[in-house]
Order: sequence, then structure tokens, then C-alpha cells
Amino acid sequence: MSNGPLLRLNGLTKRYPGVTALDDITLELPAGRIGLVGANGAGKSTLFRILLGLSHPTEGHVEVCGIDVARDPIGVRSRLGYMPEHDCLALDQTAADVVATFGELSGLPARAARQRASDILDLVGLDEARFRPIGGFSTGMRQRTKLAQALVGDPVLVLLDEPTAGLDPIGREEMLLLVDRLGSFGISVLMATHLLDDVQQVCDHVVMIDAGRLVVSGATDSLLERTGLVTIDVGRHTDELVAGLAQVGVVAVVVDGMVEATVEATVGDDTRMDLLRDVVAGLGLPLFRLSTRLTSLDEAFVRRSEELT
Amino acid sequence: MSSAASSADAGRGAVYDRGYRPYDGPRGRRGAATLALYKASMRRALGLRRPWRQKVAPFVLLGVVTIPAIVNVGIGYVTRDRFDGFQIITYREYVGVSSALLLFVALVAPDVMCPDRRHRVLPLMFARPLLGVDYVVAKVGSITTILFAFSFLPQVVLFVGNMLVSNSALDYVGDHLDVLWKVPLAVAVLSLYYATIGCALSSLTDRRIVAGASVIGLFLLTSISSSVIVGDSSVEGGGYGGLINVLAMPLHLRDVIFLGHIDPDSPLSGVAGGGLLALACYLVVLCTGAMVLWWRYRWVER
Repeated sequence: MSNGPLLRLNGLTKRYPGVTALDDITLELPAGRIGLVGANGAGKSTLFRILLGLSHPTEGHVEVCGIDVARDPIGVRSRLGYMPEHDCLALDQTAADVVATFGELSGLPARAARQRASDILDLVGLDEARFRPIGGFSTGMRQRTKLAQALVGDPVLVLLDEPTAGLDPIGREEMLLLVDRLGSFGISVLMATHLLDDVQQVCDHVVMIDAGRLVVSGATDSLLERTGLVTIDVGRHTDELVAGLAQVGVVAVVVDGMVEATVEATVGDDTRMDLLRDVVAGLGLPLFRLSTRLTSLDEAFVRRSEELT
Repeated sequence: MSSAASSADAGRGAVYDRGYRPYDGPRGRRGAATLALYKASMRRALGLRRPWRQKVAPFVLLGVVTIPAIVNVGIGYVTRDRFDGFQIITYREYVGVSSALLLFVALVAPDVMCPDRRHRVLPLMFARPLLGVDYVVAKVGSITTILFAFSFLPQVVLFVGNMLVSNSALDYVGDHLDVLWKVPLAVAVLSLYYATIGCALSSLTDRRIVAGASVIGLFLLTSISSSVIVGDSSVEGGGYGGLINVLAMPLHLRDVIFLGHIDPDSPLSGVAGGGLLALACYLVVLCTGAMVLWWRYRWVER
């Protein structure tokens, strides 16, 4: 594996008749757990198909682990695992057989594939059920089997398409825990989902796309911090504070009786926080609360999307 | 640790998280993936690692195609010193003698092809180092291999039986050396043909019953149509009607391989260049099947 970025998309565009699925996306992603966020139809599945070499971009090019997908799709697929959103397992076969077969299809010798199938099914919590036909599995067990077949080939990067879809809250937590653990095994994850809570819980990098366009890409923490909102509670003196902040160039609005100031500095910048404190003190207002407001990824997504439009 | 503590720990047991072990052994690419799919398809077709019901069809077929050879050889052996009237069936006649092969193709080809599409397994397969052409080669190859094996095994029984029945086994082998290449070639021609048709028709639907009915329907429809045309004496050049019989096409080639010409009893016997025409039709059908398969799995590389 090269030492460069895990994924490199350069001007990636995919057009279908009448639809632009991906629109000039350029980004580099490091190894780790990456959340690919977007609404249904945003272009997540199209991006997965392009990464797997199953669909060719209209323009631009893609590198996975330093390998150009267009030039060597087989080489790329040898390094990837893929867990689709939809059902994709032969129901009359046992989990052990299915996972071992996919291990062999990934290029592993038969004996190694069966051994790894056993190990991986144990890892995902299906050791007891591995010799049962998949047709009798619950949704959660099928999702785990799908994850197991994606991991059996020892991929560098595993593409997970809505891994928590259809799971109950406990199953969802268990699946997210598994995804979280993959990072510690040295396996990078690109997890497509429209559930931002899932991304916030397990991913250390987020890519947001909307209608095929890149909305934002960055470390999860930085996206949460970069909201630039500080909430200041000065009781009923909100109008005075808004006027006072305007004089020092800080845009502020009243939200739910409290002043929500938008500052350009990051939250961790004490100088800007001090400025807000000094304005309040200078106006002689009571200060009940001065806190940074970390928005959720949902808010970040909506705001960035609005900025784009 | 005290012995008391040790015994207490042993009584409680422990659960260990074995974690994840990376794989650093040898890893194949397209060839290995194709071979893996070929073996998996063979296992599926033979019902291996599947419920016993799935094993019935292939092994009943094996019995159906082999028992006549055993019976022929048995009768020939028992009656070899009593009278000269019994003739063991010839190798040529035994190639494609049983319609059980067709039934097998109609059962197994859909079972090997359709579930991949119906259960949407294809995206998983093509996320591996596998191209559409590899998939087709593995699937057609697996069914061809089984058909070849099931058609070839009775021929081996016949050959060994003939050796036993003859006065001198070595003389028999010496006199029939040509069989050693004619039989495998004729059986391969037949197996590849039926497997390609079965897979091509099965690739058009994700429902096994529809695919199976299509295979049988194609064979029945064309053979009946051909018989009607050939049997109608009022149709000039009716012998050409034998060329639309998809079912019998490899049997014409079988005759060419064994006899060097079309069988005199064949509807093509009166047709000028009948052997070449049969070969051309055979290749057309084979290429059509391959084109259908390529068309159905081309999206993988689009």
C-alpha cells in the first residue's frame, strides 16, 4: 500500500442521461473510518460503484490506495471489501459456506478461506450460527454475515453501504461497535449512510455530498467545532447585547430568548471568547451563560448545503 | 496463583476475544477467483454442502445415463458364449442417447445461474477480482464439466465392458484406439453446447422455473418444428429443416466425428454439405449463447 491518501478523487463526475450523479468532486481522504453522508439519491452508491470499478466516471479519475481504478480495477478490488445495503446472500447456504466462498473469490486458497471464514464469523458474533442456513437468520444476523463476507478477504478498505439499515436499536449499536473496532484492526472504513448519528458515533472523517456535489469533507471533530456559534445568555437584555456585538463586528441574533452570536473564530480561540465576555461586561449586563455551541452533523450538513445553493 | 484460585477460575471458564488476524499468505487474482467460482458452481450443481433434496437430481441423472451402459455390458458379457445376436450399443449411439441430460440441463443451469441474480449476489461477486467474462466462463465451465463427466463415464463403462466381452482385451484396445479421441471430442461438443444454451437462457431471468421451462421449450419446439418440416414430403428441400433442430445439432457433429459424414438416417443426409452446415449452425447457436451471456453480464465492466 502506498503512503499517500487512501482515496483520491480528482474532478470526479458521473453523468447519466438527464441526471448528474456526481458533479466534479475533488478530495483526498486519509486512512481511517470515513462517513459518507448524503440523502437518498445523493450519489453514494454511484461513488461506491466507481470505487469498485463497476462504473466508469464520465470525467475525472479515482485512486484507491494509490491505484488508478480505471487502469487496474482488479487490483483495486483485491484490496476492497464491500457490504451492500440490500439483501445479497444465498438463503439456502450456511453462513460458513457463503463467507468461505467469498474468501476464495477474493483470491484466498480454499483452506485459508475456510479458516478465515470461521475466524471472521466468530469476530462478528456468528460463531454459534455459522453452520445454519442464512434463510433462518434475523436481519441483524444477515447484516453481520454481509459484514463478514466483506472482511474475509482481509481488505485494506471496506465499503459499507447503510450497515445499520433495518436494525433494531440494539442491533444498530452492535453493528456500530463492530465498525468502530475495524479501525483498530487496521482496516479503513468508508461507511455510506444518511444517519448522521451513526457517523458521529464511529467515524473520524466525514464526507458530505448532496445531489452529487461535495458539501464538505473534514475530520468529524473539526466539522463539529467549525460551526462558530457561541450562545450567550444575558437574561432579558438581548437587544442591547446584539447592538453591542454589532459595534465590534460580531453578527448576533436572538434565539429562544438568548443571543446566539456567530463568530468567525473557532471555538477554541480564547481571544474571541474573551472579546464576547468583554462586550457583555462593557455593557454592564448580567452573564448567565457563555458557551460554545457544537452543532450536530445534521446542522453542519444543512448549513453547508444551503451555502452551496 | 493459589491452587484454590486456579480451580475456581477453571470452573468459571472464560471468553476470549480472538480479535482480528490479518491475512499475509498467498493471494490469487482473476484466475483464482474464476476457479473458486467454478468450484462453487460445481458444488451447487451437484448438491454438495446442500440439503439432500438438492443431491437427488444429479445423482439420479448419473444413474439414468450409466445404467443402460451397465445393462448392455452385462447382457453382452452373460450372452457372449451363447449366441452372436446381441450387439452392445455403439459409442456413437451412446453419445447424447439419454434425454435425461436435457432434463439435467433444464434443472441445473437455472439453479446455478438464477439465484445469483434473484438474491442479488452479483454485486458481491463483482466486488472481487472477477470480470463478467470470468463469471460466464466459470458458470458455463462448471455445467459443461458435469455434463462431460456424466456423459463420459458411461462410455468408460462401455469400453471396459467391451474389453471384457471381447476375446482379447488388448486386441480390442488396439482395434479401437480411435475411440479414445472420438468419444471425448463428441462428448465435449455435446456438453459445451447444452451448457451454453442452458446458461444463456437462464441468464435472461431470475426465476428458475421460467428458465427451466425455456430450455425444455426451446428444445421441444425446434425439434417438433424440424420433424414436421422434414416429414412433409410436399416441402421441397425439407431436409434443411433438420438445421433448425437445436436439440439434435451436436448429434450431427457427433456423427461427423465418428463416421466422417452425416448419418444416412439423419434428415441432413440428403442435403449437400450437410456436415458443414451442421457445424455452421452449431457454431451460430454457440456464439449466440455466448453473445447473450456477454450482453447479460457486460454491465459489470461498463
